[in-house]
Amino acid sequence: MQKRKIRALTVAGGLLAGVVLLGSSSAEAGATAAMLANTCAGCHGTNGVSGGPAMPTIAGMPAKYLKEVMAAFKSDKRPSTIMGRLAKGYSDEEIALIADFFAKQKWQNAQSAPQSKMATPVNATLAKQGEKTTKAAKCDKCHEDNGVFQDDDTPRMAGQWLDYLRFKVQDLKNPAITVPQADKMKAGIDKLSAEELEAVAHFYASQK
Amino acid sequence: MTNLTRRGFIKLTGGAAAVGLTSSLVAPSIVGAAQQQVVVVGGGYGGAVAAKYIRMADPKIQVTLIEKSADYYSCPLSNWVVAGFRDMALQKWGYDGLKKHGITVVIDEVTGIDPAGQTVKTAGGKSFKYDRLVVSPGVDFKEFPGYDAAAQAKIVHAWKAGPETVTLAKQLAAMQDGDTFILVAPADPYRCPPGPYERASLVAHYLKKNKPKSKLVILDAKPKFSKQGLFQEGWTQLYGFGTDNSIIKWVSGAEGGKVVRVDAKEMAVYTDNNGFEEKHVGACINFIPPNVAGSIAKAAGLTNESGWCPVNLATFESKLHKGVFVIGDSSASGGMPKSGYAANSQAKVVAAAIVAQLNGQEPGEASYVNTCYSMLSPTYGISVAAVWKFDPATPDKVKEIVSGVSPAKAAEYVRKQEALYNESWYQSIMADTFG
Repeated sequence: MQKRKIRALTVAGGLLAGVVLLGSSSAEAGATAAMLANTCAGCHGTNGVSGGPAMPTIAGMPAKYLKEVMAAFKSDKRPSTIMGRLAKGYSDEEIALIADFFAKQKWQNAQSAPQSKMATPVNATLAKQGEKTTKAAKCDKCHEDNGVFQDDDTPRMAGQWLDYLRFKVQDLKNPAITVPQADKMKAGIDKLSAEELEAVAHFYASQK
Repeated sequence: MTNLTRRGFIKLTGGAAAVGLTSSLVAPSIVGAAQQQVVVVGGGYGGAVAAKYIRMADPKIQVTLIEKSADYYSCPLSNWVVAGFRDMALQKWGYDGLKKHGITVVIDEVTGIDPAGQTVKTAGGKSFKYDRLVVSPGVDFKEFPGYDAAAQAKIVHAWKAGPETVTLAKQLAAMQDGDTFILVAPADPYRCPPGPYERASLVAHYLKKNKPKSKLVILDAKPKFSKQGLFQEGWTQLYGFGTDNSIIKWVSGAEGGKVVRVDAKEMAVYTDNNGFEEKHVGACINFIPPNVAGSIAKAAGLTNESGWCPVNLATFESKLHKGVFVIGDSSASGGMPKSGYAANSQAKVVAAAIVAQLNGQEPGEASYVNTCYSMLSPTYGISVAAVWKFDPATPDKVKEIVSGVSPAKAAEYVRKQEALYNESWYQSIMADTFG
């Protein structure tokens, strides 16, 4: 019940932020939100809807989540291959514009990538195992509705590209790197094996 | 800023009317006004994106894209085809997606551009009037001693993806174990700076697996090359670079790598080694000639003595002809590489500038990005990424905000992730271009 209320508030807050942004965007000097955000589309797809197996879709993700992730890339707190380099190219104000732009776009579930040869197909058996794991490990306490739910601290998982989710769970088990996580998330993740997390990735990717 | 557009109606400016691509305000419809016409010449990584983003930002503008070929073959990832681990069909794209954005796609060859008359003429005998013109023809090649039509039938460059890509793949596959593959890398500037070295890497991968006694020699006009440290680190790990048994040998211009003529009958290239001609024979030769702006850009008077098209780096509008915008490989892009991603990024700046101009507004501030992956094997990827802005204090060079390559000596999982990110990059940028 508590959660539902928070969710309703988030939606209202998002709308409000959108209105404020629209009013102020042209008054400030510098590149517009669209100008900045459209440079991301070469990897993350038009309006943040990714076309590729390992690039995450960011359309419709919570603005606060996107800002925090970008700030963590910028300060090298969040491990990455390329985003740590790119994030340093933008001021905090520009990152806020970019995040708000993508938050306003419409989420689309990952679709098949017929011109990809490297995409990992979703495995139904693994997805079933992964569903059990998410219940047992209480992933669904935050990632409600089989990963459809999102709020400021919780990215949507359902329908995300599988190879992105696989990379992220592999990173969590990689002793060479530290991924910033909420304490309760870390406590849950630490109890799961790499194989169980792989199954969890298949489960969330299988959801719509 | 004037409040009166050329169409003679009052429009909101400043304050609430956001300048840019996705102004949330719906502009008033103009009853009876003639539609503004934008013509785009060339439907690749630059032109197709410019056409699409103009329509996304302002559907009132009519956009006509003129492209020679109905099928588009992507250069990025075509080196994978050469090395035999990717099907050419996966490189092929078409224009149906752009038609869904309301773009008129004309398959025809542009034969003339008249900047004064604001008209484009085609081989098919058609004529198109424009209010703004985008020229994105990619590169063409300079004439080179010995590299005539007959030579080109035997020795391909495959520096435009298409039939030559497949020819080169077949030539590589037909080599005998022990034969030499010669790759001739051009002098700067040219399309895709790391491209020759990715190709060398992937040919070496093929040779290691299929023809272990064969060698690859890169004859280079340059003293150094893009992502050199990372390439050489990878070659050392994968192909024995630096040892006597290395599959890859790189000869810089200073060490006699500068090719001065081609002899296809002898299947040889000749280099200048301190004033002496040195002959290099290969069972397979991949000769990449010096690059120059697309010939239509030159014919239209958009190039200067450098062979490239000077542009205002704030908008990519030609410095030589007003109302004409040159993007991608043909432009003199002030320090940005001639890459697909740079063309994509420039196209969006141009789209925003044209939409602003046609709505009587000042173009907003430009932001540019390049993200470029290279493969050293099918599971070993590296990248370079950069962000630029336009700074009026340095109008001839874009201002680099940040730039960096993948870390040296990275763990295997990093190279593996970047290999899959490379293919993912391709899926997204192609969807951004043609979807």
